[in-house]
Amino acid sequence: MADGGQPPGALQEENSGAHCTGGISARYFCTAGRGMEIFLLKEVQSRLGATQVEYVSGKVFFTTSAELRMLKKLKSAERLFLLLDKYPPLSISKNKGSIIHDIQKLVNENSRIWLDIVTIWKSLHGQEVKQENVSQEYPVFQKRKSEEEGSTNNKRQKKEKLLETISTESQVEDHQERCDMSKANTDSILLEGKVFLEKAWESIQEKCVESGSSISFRVSCRCSGALAKVFPAQVVGRIIGIALMKHFGWKADLRNPGIEIFVHLNDIYSVIGIPVFRLPLASRAYIKTAGLRSTIAWAMASFAEIHAGDFVLDPTCGLGTVLVEAATEWPNAHYLGTDISDLQLQGAYSNIRAARLVGKIDLLRASATELPLPPGSINVVFADIPFGKKFKITNNMKFLPDVLQEIERVVCVGGTVVLLLSRELYKCINDGISSGPETENHNSVESLSDCTEHAVVSLEMNTQEKNGIPRIISPLAQSTRREDISNTKTILSSLLLVESFEVSLGKTDAFMCKYKKVTSFASIKS
Amino acid sequence: MLTSHVRGVRPGGGFPLRIELEHYPRYSPYGYGLAQASEVKVNNVDFNQEFTARMIPKVEWGALVEAAESLGHRSDLPSEPIPDYGSNEDFLRKVHHVLMEVEVIEGVLKCPDTGREFPITKGIPNMLLSEEET
Repeated sequence: MADGGQPPGALQEENSGAHCTGGISARYFCTAGRGMEIFLLKEVQSRLGATQVEYVSGKVFFTTSAELRMLKKLKSAERLFLLLDKYPPLSISKNKGSIIHDIQKLVNENSRIWLDIVTIWKSLHGQEVKQENVSQEYPVFQKRKSEEEGSTNNKRQKKEKLLETISTESQVEDHQERCDMSKANTDSILLEGKVFLEKAWESIQEKCVESGSSISFRVSCRCSGALAKVFPAQVVGRIIGIALMKHFGWKADLRNPGIEIFVHLNDIYSVIGIPVFRLPLASRAYIKTAGLRSTIAWAMASFAEIHAGDFVLDPTCGLGTVLVEAATEWPNAHYLGTDISDLQLQGAYSNIRAARLVGKIDLLRASATELPLPPGSINVVFADIPFGKKFKITNNMKFLPDVLQEIERVVCVGGTVVLLLSRELYKCINDGISSGPETENHNSVESLSDCTEHAVVSLEMNTQEKNGIPRIISPLAQSTRREDISNTKTILSSLLLVESFEVSLGKTDAFMCKYKKVTSFASIKS
Repeated sequence: MLTSHVRGVRPGGGFPLRIELEHYPRYSPYGYGLAQASEVKVNNVDFNQEFTARMIPKVEWGALVEAAESLGHRSDLPSEPIPDYGSNEDFLRKVHHVLMEVEVIEGVLKCPDTGREFPITKGIPNMLLSEEET
């Protein structure tokens, strides 16, 4: 592949352009973490050639005819669903009976849509089954694998055989993605388990495709807003389930259903869909132990616009999640991860081995405040600046200016820096950049603790981003402000904030910020 | 590309002096600075011709060859990159092997200026310095 002229951040698909054909054109939606919709929006367009892309908070809707294996490659989504339909919210009257009637109507009055979507779902998976059979006929795939891989393959095959006999009994459950470091030893089992579960799901789907008419299902229902006050989600789920059984003669199977019906009802919309894959897209087969959430890690790498041949550094790599996501998507760059913790590095090392990225990603034990790299030697830096529950904020606050200064030193002019920051850090850093000399003490430790939680900036930026206008602080304005404080320690003096997004990390919020190094600090001073 | 941060090597308070290893840590540990390697592993890494060709101008060739030699993996690499290497798959495969596939699991890196040694443990060089050294 000619990757030399590849546009920044472009997804490296082996057959880009071909993804629009071959599959069945259908309407889908993905769930996404809050703040990730923008990334997902771009991704479905570039990776799947999706059209009619629209989003609401936490969900992105689109139409594509991409094949199942392409759908599986989505990186910024949590889960992917085939959209059955999207309706306006149910009107909530005082009469419970009429609400029940309205819920039943979702099934009864749309029979054709239900059957059509189930047919599409089946043919999607029918295609996949055919493709898998084809690939098994070519022994080339097997030959290329090393002996080590061969032995694990055998294990998997054995497991599959085992599975076929017990599949009717086995209960398939979602896997927890985040694993404690203490569980590191059991991770290999977990990794195989993921493959195992995915296979289990596929074999169930196969059965479902073959068996045709008799469909077993389960309803997963989520309710919020006014409806949730009248009916709990389980009750709504049961009403829909009973309606499906009566109307289509499908069989309910809570433990091992052929298809799952996902229903989400709130005050803004009613959405019904069928999950395309049993496991969330966010649970990656190639990540053994995830540190940062995989979708966020991918978004950071995608935000950083990695070009072929770039030197890419993660100075606080931890378990190497961002590096693994980046090197999997953009393999033609040199990746380097450093961390101060030996335990984390060992975890990263085994993650890299498991992802078969040895040789692509190098690890060094070094302090982020003293990187053993010459100035300007790195094209792209991404860093999940440690904050939050695992680390004592106060300790990190003390080192933060040094870390940022070091990042600034090693990145070359024109290079990109993507930082994941807590709200507090975000405010401190970016206030430090855009305010005058009198606020230079923002760099000192004492003032950092004074920062309060204000989110005004993020709102403003998000809206600007939607209009496609990134926020840019003029380098000229900065340089004049910097004149008087050239002797004090400054943060990010040559780094220009280009764009930032607020993203949700579950319990905490974070800001993903992109900076460009415009010129060296020395030239700003002169 | 690695540099040493040991205070003694800093010329006039400027940027850290370059430890004369290499441009990039994968092979840098095996450059001039490599004092000893007690365990070397060879991994199988998929060959990418374009990627390897693009690496060559970034590599300090002499250091690479010396490193490969000291590890017993020189595999007939010439002392200068051959002309038109971009289209010579055979040559690029050799470079790929040395750059990407040879990994020092246990060994020591040595700064040529100060003699400071940086241990490589379980494949990860430890570049941390003590407080007196910084």
